[in-house]
Amino acid sequence: MKHIVIIGGGIAGMESACALTDAGHWVTLIEKEAQLGGKLNQWSFLFPDFTPAEKIKDTLFDKCQERDFSILLKTEVKSVQTHQKKFNIETFGGQKLEADAVVVSSGYELFDARRKEEYGYKIYDHVITSADLEKLLRPGSDLSVAAGKNPKRIAFVHCVGSRDEKSGNHYCSKVCCITGVKQAIELKKRLPEAEIFCFYMDLRMYGKHFEELYREAQEKFDIQFIRGRLSEAAEKMDKSLLIKAEDTLSGRPLKMNVDLLVLLVGMEAGKGTATAAAKCSIEYEDSGFLKTNDTFLFSNFSSQEGIFLAGSCTAPMSVNDTILHARSAAMEVNSWLRKQ
Amino acid sequence: MQLYEQLTQDIRFEEGLNSCMNCGICTAICPAAEFYDYDPRMIAGIVQSKDESQIEELLKSDAIWYCGECMSCKTRCPRGNCTGLIIMALRSLSQELGFFTESEKGRQQLVIKRVIGENIVYRGYCILPENLIPELHPEQGPVGEWIFENRKEVYKRVDANYCGEGTGALRKIPKESLDEIYQIFEITGGFERFDQIEHFSKLKARSMGFSDVDEEFTDYINHTYTTNNGKHNRP
Repeated sequence: MKHIVIIGGGIAGMESACALTDAGHWVTLIEKEAQLGGKLNQWSFLFPDFTPAEKIKDTLFDKCQERDFSILLKTEVKSVQTHQKKFNIETFGGQKLEADAVVVSSGYELFDARRKEEYGYKIYDHVITSADLEKLLRPGSDLSVAAGKNPKRIAFVHCVGSRDEKSGNHYCSKVCCITGVKQAIELKKRLPEAEIFCFYMDLRMYGKHFEELYREAQEKFDIQFIRGRLSEAAEKMDKSLLIKAEDTLSGRPLKMNVDLLVLLVGMEAGKGTATAAAKCSIEYEDSGFLKTNDTFLFSNFSSQEGIFLAGSCTAPMSVNDTILHARSAAMEVNSWLRKQ
Repeated sequence: MQLYEQLTQDIRFEEGLNSCMNCGICTAICPAAEFYDYDPRMIAGIVQSKDESQIEELLKSDAIWYCGECMSCKTRCPRGNCTGLIIMALRSLSQELGFFTESEKGRQQLVIKRVIGENIVYRGYCILPENLIPELHPEQGPVGEWIFENRKEVYKRVDANYCGEGTGALRKIPKESLDEIYQIFEITGGFERFDQIEHFSKLKARSMGFSDVDEEFTDYINHTYTTNNGKHNRP
């Protein structure tokens, strides 16, 4: 029986672990947090159909429970050594594992919005991120702390920390456009009296049902989309925010007063993935995301033979894309092991 | 040489324009855009299009003279462009080709050359108290006029060393420093630029029917300084 160590117990790690167990291998899933699920734990509802994140997580969790593989929680990898076609993995807890293959599924981190100081996150009270809003969208949560008692106007800012040389992130985070549309609809349902504006550069509705949801946001929920990137926000005496942008489609500078500003933060490879790359001696790109052998046929292969990649450690990815990528990683690991 | 090609030979243009995705953040932050009918994003769009006739139109327009070169755009652009630098390159080319005389704001280059330009070379200052001539600066009001007339005493009262030797605000700039500034203008082509501005302004003044008798072109200067077609601000 071959042994595979998976680094990272988010949805990619969970899905890969299940698929590899089904293929008849012995799997050890290593997760640094106290529970599996990764970033999905922070999300409430998923685009494009508002599926509760809990439902996906529970299903994956049940799937893991039904299978026999070992899960090491609150565990971090200390080192990965290659020795005679085997991988020797040591954890900070002193555990030593020998693996025939390794899957890196170390995921992403959210862009720290404080780095875009001009938007005032953690400086002004009524500026929050999409991740903060997600928590506030849970049924029964109180929006008034972030948005005031009776918010009249709410603005979403797209591409915060993405497509932005100033943040050091040239790439598109892919999921924020549709996240903005989803959250704008959810907010409108909660606050039907409020006017909602989305400030975007391009709306990249790349996935199934995304464009339809965007259309619904406009037609059914009266959400306004303004093409222009925000230059800054300033807090007024009453805690409302004065924002500045250009409405590029009419070619006019615009100033607007809003009661809540939501920053749609992008994805970064983050510390976890950088650490994994260093420990496994695998290559990463300028963006920090892990380098795959090619874009088309070998997107689960790292620069080192026997080490495979799954999910958003390779690029920004949605939940469904991550699950598919994790499954394909399992297939590739399986085929590779059979050839050994 | 094509206009676009000439622009590309300016280091400021090369630095100022990588590729523009028309997000409008430069216009959003631009203080001039708030006041004037001016859109820096569109300037970047036009030069990026490499459309010769549009670039020529731009070089002859008021649009390139609104920017205050504050460089706020530089701090925001997600593609690392800087419209302020593009503007500098456009202004230089417009001066070189004489296109600046085709617009109301552009024609003011002559006043700027004679006041700020020559002040810098010969006095080491941009603006001096004696430049604030009341009839040319009605916005200064009666207080400004009084200060102008009593400037020697007024600046003394505020501890400035106006035109004096040694240290202090408004002091006389020593000869060796002025010689250095002179050298800079000579070596960098600043004086050639001065001559071009005088030359093209003279041609324009004649074509506009101003008399040649006066060497200083006083009437033309007064005209460019005081006329306003009222079309510079946002409608």
